[in-house]
Amino acid sequence: MKTLLSAVAAALVAGLLSTAAYAESLVLYTSQPNEDAQATVDAFKAANPGVEVEWVREGTTKIMAKLMAEIEAGNPVADVLLIADTVTMQRLKEGGHLLSYKSPEAAGYDAALYDADGAYYSTKMITTGIVYNTSAEMKPEGWQDLVKPEAKGLVTMPSPLTSGAALIHAETLAAIPGLGWDFYKALAENGATAAGGNGGVLKAVATGEKAYGMLVDFMAIREKAKGAPVEFVFPAEGVSAVTEPVGILQTAKNVDAAKKFVDFLLSEEGQKVAVKMGYIPARNGVALPEGYPARETIKVLPVDAAAAVKNSEADLKTFSGIFETN
Amino acid sequence: MTRADEIARSRRRSAPAESDAEGGSGFPESPRRFLSRAGFGPLRFLFGGGEAAESRPPQTASAKLPNVLARALSGVELPAMPHVTEDGSLKDSLPSDGRAGRALRSLRRRSASGEPAWLLPFVLGAVLLLSVLPLARLAGAGLSGLVVGEAARLIFEPATFAALRNTLVTATGGMVVSLLLGSLFAFAVALTDVRGKLILSFAFMLPMMIPPQVTALAWVEMSGPASPLLKTLGLAPPLGSPQPLYSLSGIALLLGVQHAPLVFLALKAGLAASPRDGIEAARLAGAGPFRVFRDIVLPLATPGLIAGGAIAFVSGIGNFGIPGILGIPAGIETLPTLIFSRLASFGAATFGEIALISTLIAVISAGGLLVQQRALSGRDYRLIGHSGARAAFSLGRWRIAVETLLSAVLALVLVAPLLALIASSLVPAYGVPLNFKTMSLSAYGEILFRQSITLTALKNSLFLASTAALGLLAVTVPAAYLMTRRKGALANLIAILIEIPYALPGIVLAVAFILTFVAPLPFIGVSLYGTIWIILAAYFSSFLAVSLKPVMSAFMQMDPSLEEAARLAGAGFSRRMRDVLLPLIAPAAGASVILVFLIAANELTVSALLWSAGTQTLGVAIFNLDDSGSSDLASALSVLVVLLVIALMAALEFFAKYLPEGVLPWRN
Repeated sequence: MKTLLSAVAAALVAGLLSTAAYAESLVLYTSQPNEDAQATVDAFKAANPGVEVEWVREGTTKIMAKLMAEIEAGNPVADVLLIADTVTMQRLKEGGHLLSYKSPEAAGYDAALYDADGAYYSTKMITTGIVYNTSAEMKPEGWQDLVKPEAKGLVTMPSPLTSGAALIHAETLAAIPGLGWDFYKALAENGATAAGGNGGVLKAVATGEKAYGMLVDFMAIREKAKGAPVEFVFPAEGVSAVTEPVGILQTAKNVDAAKKFVDFLLSEEGQKVAVKMGYIPARNGVALPEGYPARETIKVLPVDAAAAVKNSEADLKTFSGIFETN
Repeated sequence: MTRADEIARSRRRSAPAESDAEGGSGFPESPRRFLSRAGFGPLRFLFGGGEAAESRPPQTASAKLPNVLARALSGVELPAMPHVTEDGSLKDSLPSDGRAGRALRSLRRRSASGEPAWLLPFVLGAVLLLSVLPLARLAGAGLSGLVVGEAARLIFEPATFAALRNTLVTATGGMVVSLLLGSLFAFAVALTDVRGKLILSFAFMLPMMIPPQVTALAWVEMSGPASPLLKTLGLAPPLGSPQPLYSLSGIALLLGVQHAPLVFLALKAGLAASPRDGIEAARLAGAGPFRVFRDIVLPLATPGLIAGGAIAFVSGIGNFGIPGILGIPAGIETLPTLIFSRLASFGAATFGEIALISTLIAVISAGGLLVQQRALSGRDYRLIGHSGARAAFSLGRWRIAVETLLSAVLALVLVAPLLALIASSLVPAYGVPLNFKTMSLSAYGEILFRQSITLTALKNSLFLASTAALGLLAVTVPAAYLMTRRKGALANLIAILIEIPYALPGIVLAVAFILTFVAPLPFIGVSLYGTIWIILAAYFSSFLAVSLKPVMSAFMQMDPSLEEAARLAGAGFSRRMRDVLLPLIAPAAGASVILVFLIAANELTVSALLWSAGTQTLGVAIFNLDDSGSSDLASALSVLVVLLVIALMAALEFFAKYLPEGVLPWRN
């Protein structure tokens, strides 16, 4: 009995020590895929020896839910957020959840790419275009091609209920004359599905369950380089874009480490790490990765950020109503 | 009413007397009967065909005594030690015929037999904390959710009804598949002379031990247009073919495979005890094998079939891993995944909603458990003359055919998906066929050497599993001692309270723990939500029953006279525990630790709702990797987890000879 109790006590102490260890480290909530998140963290740790980082990955919508549940419970765990879109960040800022920090690295960026009060900074540009399986009959060139009869039942897209990029994408296309929500209704009638995140779309198209998908650029281009049978198109009408902003939470326990993390992501070195992973960098004067057309040929569609902040809930409902997902 | 039935019945009536004549076991009542009275529902066969063991007279020390001596000793009440009690004053102030008075008298009688005063309050306290408190909190939240409008409005949304329908459809379909597979294997292993029974049973138990999300992942990799396996064989379906498993029937099929071992266990225990001499008599009287099967075997197997079916149904209702991987891409929600997605789109009414939905799951499960309880009550296996080792049906020429069929089923439900899993962990990208040129170990490299989540998850799962496995012994050893030494309503109540959290789906328990611990703890002012401790607490509650079972069997099979002798020699409780009881139950305690460890290390449903930064478990890590589109990494980690499971089961098998009867589910 005594040995048993001491064994349990030892296990408990070990557990306490390991939890204590987490308390010392910077906690990052991110929506990047696991491999990218790990590579980002590794590069940051190499540049800032001695800082430990603990990170969690989920789709933007889900990671926000997790954070909100924690805030509700009075125990927000995250120090830094690195999520898909500025709209979500803006909403957090308006809710008073973000810390203002003026990063010295901001000088290398367009003023449009960061919040004037320093609540969040864009770190890259991620556009959403069309991915297709190389054995597909039709080679799509624009968004309208996805509602053609040739694509019936063969289209899939990420759900805004999981992915932040997908929500912005829907809000962007919905505001474009000639597309709008009617385009999404036509897609639904054509048997398109919307579920999960971008990872699932890549899997469905690369594995041939579906032929066409709406997908973030870097995933498709990177997977093609690895040998997967996929191609990526920047559609003629233009692409939507998110900028993967980083922000520090008001409740952060490790503010210094968090500031270092923001500075690192914005620095030349940090931007090169992103390029190596296949992302379009946000910083001026950093070249695009392999496999992309020249920066000026990519037509980015505008999005009304203020309207997006206001209408997110309603837009989610509209989308769910069209695709009957919950 | 057939002749065989009559024979069975008359035997049943005379059973107790018979067993006494065979050398009394020294038990005041048969342990089996105690178990069924104590309401040991799923437990009774989930971890160990306890009945199979108990169908034989328990092998206790006294059974080895010459019969005459044993008979002479049985029925001799040893005098209790003179014992000064301190509650005399209490006794006088209580009505002597009231329930409390009786309880107190029995308490005094117990304490007179040397049970320490702290034992009962300790066990009761632990059970209240782990079982009653969270479930009461859930029931409260569910009720108030119904009263306060917002959540109630959401529960009547079409989405909830669709999820309810999907849950019932998949769980029912899964139950049918489980019954087919489970009874095929149970009849073959228990009644025929097929060879390799141990390896068949061991392999057939594996699907239950492998985490459901790994099963789902493996099957997805096995089928569909991009299956590396089918691509390599050139059998892949054309582009745009839907993945057949992303459907209601796909979910039902996999639930069936996952829970078939439960039916197998429920049936095997009963079949192992079928009356060989009855069968033989019937055969001599000219009944054909089919007639014997219909009139003798089937009536005896019916309760097991109903109970196994009910358990498979309840497990299907609460499964999260399979509908999570197969249903979400197809937009099919079941109640557990609905809870998950509601929590993942957090809003003001979320806690009320998930409380309501999980209350709904709990109600359906309770219905299933009641059916199972009814089926098992009144089962008496002591109708056996000899349940000899000889098979009831020798298959003769058909043996090869049956063996081939069993192996083919195992190849389809176990070997092929695992091969597909390994194949998909070796391809560099989606949709690439596997050959020697494309094969790479980079996924394993990434998982083992780069992803910090692997290490975090491994550390957490090992910590949680070992702490739960060892820590639970501190509760289950005293509880098992208490329940074997003390009969009556209180022991039954404790048994039922221990049973409930394990019988209820994990998702219900997880929600109960969120509701209980989301508010800051009293006195400390810290919330456990988002820490590893809330997961640990939920594990303690969830696996209490798993931990108790082997320890309970060991206490059951122990001759009470051993402890009695030590007590008469003046040994105190702790001394008796240390020198007499613990050494005897040590092997069972070891098995209990490994079983809990095995299940806890692979757990997903509870931790899927409770994890946070730095507290991911292996189950969560696999789910999350697949979700982020890195299914090569998810597959690689799954392969490692399956290897861990097989290693642990092999370790248990290695220690089998030191364990009490009926602790290892795959052994007869």
